[in-house]
Amino acid sequence: MLEAVEIEVRFGGLTAIDRVSLALGQDEILGLIGPNGAGKSTLVNALTGFQKPTRGVVRLDGVAIGRWPADRIARLGIARTFQGVRLFQGLTVIENLAAAAIGGGLKRPGAEARGRDILAWMGLDGRDHQLAGALPYGDQRRVAIGRALALAPRFLLLDEPAAGMSDAECDALVGLIRRVPEEFACGVLLIEHNMRVVMAACRRIHVIDSGRTIAAGTPAEIQADRDVIRAYLGTKSEPGHAGR
Amino acid sequence: MAGPRTPLKWLETYSTPIALTLILVGVVGLTWASGAAVFAQTVTDTLIRIMLVVGLYIFIGNSGVLAFGHIAFTLIGAYGTAWLTLSVFKKSFALKLPLILAEHQYAVFPSAIAAALLASLVALVVGVPIMRLSGIAAAIASLAVLGMFHTFYNNWSGWTMGAATLPGLPLYVDMWVALGWVAFALFVAFAYQRSRFGLALRATREDEFGARAAGINIARQRLIAFVLSAFFMGLAGVLHAHFLGSIAVKSFWLGLTFTSLAMLIIGGQRSLTGAVTGAVVISGITEVLRQMEGGFTLGGVTLALPLGSQELGIALVMLLVLIFRPAGLTGGRELAFRLGRRRRADA
Repeated sequence: MLEAVEIEVRFGGLTAIDRVSLALGQDEILGLIGPNGAGKSTLVNALTGFQKPTRGVVRLDGVAIGRWPADRIARLGIARTFQGVRLFQGLTVIENLAAAAIGGGLKRPGAEARGRDILAWMGLDGRDHQLAGALPYGDQRRVAIGRALALAPRFLLLDEPAAGMSDAECDALVGLIRRVPEEFACGVLLIEHNMRVVMAACRRIHVIDSGRTIAAGTPAEIQADRDVIRAYLGTKSEPGHAGR
Repeated sequence: MAGPRTPLKWLETYSTPIALTLILVGVVGLTWASGAAVFAQTVTDTLIRIMLVVGLYIFIGNSGVLAFGHIAFTLIGAYGTAWLTLSVFKKSFALKLPLILAEHQYAVFPSAIAAALLASLVALVVGVPIMRLSGIAAAIASLAVLGMFHTFYNNWSGWTMGAATLPGLPLYVDMWVALGWVAFALFVAFAYQRSRFGLALRATREDEFGARAAGINIARQRLIAFVLSAFFMGLAGVLHAHFLGSIAVKSFWLGLTFTSLAMLIIGGQRSLTGAVTGAVVISGITEVLRQMEGGFTLGGVTLALPLGSQELGIALVMLLVLIFRPAGLTGGRELAFRLGRRRRADA
């Protein structure tokens, strides 16, 4: 169980996250949505050691990990992707995945084998020896998910994985993400602007606005929630509209 | 590209250091066959520079962190071997060493290893704080380390004779000895870069945030490369010492720092082949210009380039390479070969 308890993150006078609590099990996909600037990425940073919470506790199976360095948290099995992708551009695709598997404790041959398995699982095989930076944008995002999975994580935090993808690519991505909890025994926290992706992938959704939790529940409950409509969906012309 | 399973596969996997070594063997062999002593000196000198640049490459090439202080390890290696290999008589005459050094003269080969290990040990100690830094802070901190050791060795008279030249080291480094050590360095550097440690470090070079998210401890991976790199920087100092027979603190200072960095950058800092290419090309140009400064005959007229042409020539080459090939002459590619039937190209 990965838990955030009353997390608060402040940058000087600005409160980016204001007492947000959430819990993620290893067998589920939790959606995290909110308008631009709501603090979604900051929350992911706080959960993964890239941002020390000003207050509150991050717990992994009851152990407080909020002050640990990011690489140590990753080795404990909390993997993440970045909005900005952040692949190892000058390395090949297989090296990208192998590096993460090595970070997770494997030796070189085992790391490459795991990388190849994951690439095959994602339908990215055949790209092994291409430079990651030379791939199309959508493939780079998928390789980034593959790199996170190469850590053999117990929790996977995806920060806008569908950004810039076509509807068909989004549907394929949802198909993959939905298989992660069962096939990798890994819980997923899915941050996404694209409602189509979130509603299709998650059975539970957490909504934040201006750093505060404003709603949590099933997709149907969230879509009917007045605060959510006001804060988020109301600003868009229709719920299915992609964030960018 | 998993672990090499058959001998043929091993040859392919290590084709880069094998090819580089074979080329160097060819050059040394031809020089030896020609019997030109002057040329042999130049070749040995170039091999020592290759060792220096390969040492730099192990850290800078794989980590992407520019470091200005590595010549400190060359200095440490050179004096380390002097303390061990000078004859007891010369030591008593020139230095005030503890008995275990003063009363013994050690064999050159174990002394070379010991001196290089001393450089690694120092790298381990100074590396722990420095490896936490990135970018320009790391570069300046490493320069500070060089400054520290330079000052220290310049004033540590009992061990170094201060700013004076320390003469009388056994002269055993010829081009074959240098070649042997360089081949060793090439294989170790290549094995490191394709090991899990090398891959983890190259990942940090590409993206530090991505690397941390991938569970990689950046400071630790940098430290491993730093210590390994210091070993070969130290060995270069050992070779230098026993090639010239005398050493002085002032030889291991900013001039050598910038020459060796220039070689790495011009050759291409992201590949082992680049490191070797840079050392060879710059040494070649320097040698030609030096000869021309000394005077040459062209169509019956004896001409000489003005003094300083060497430095100007190198600066010009560096500018041209940086403008037209910013990733260096090799652009980060490795020399490699395939044996037997070609594998099907990846679709």
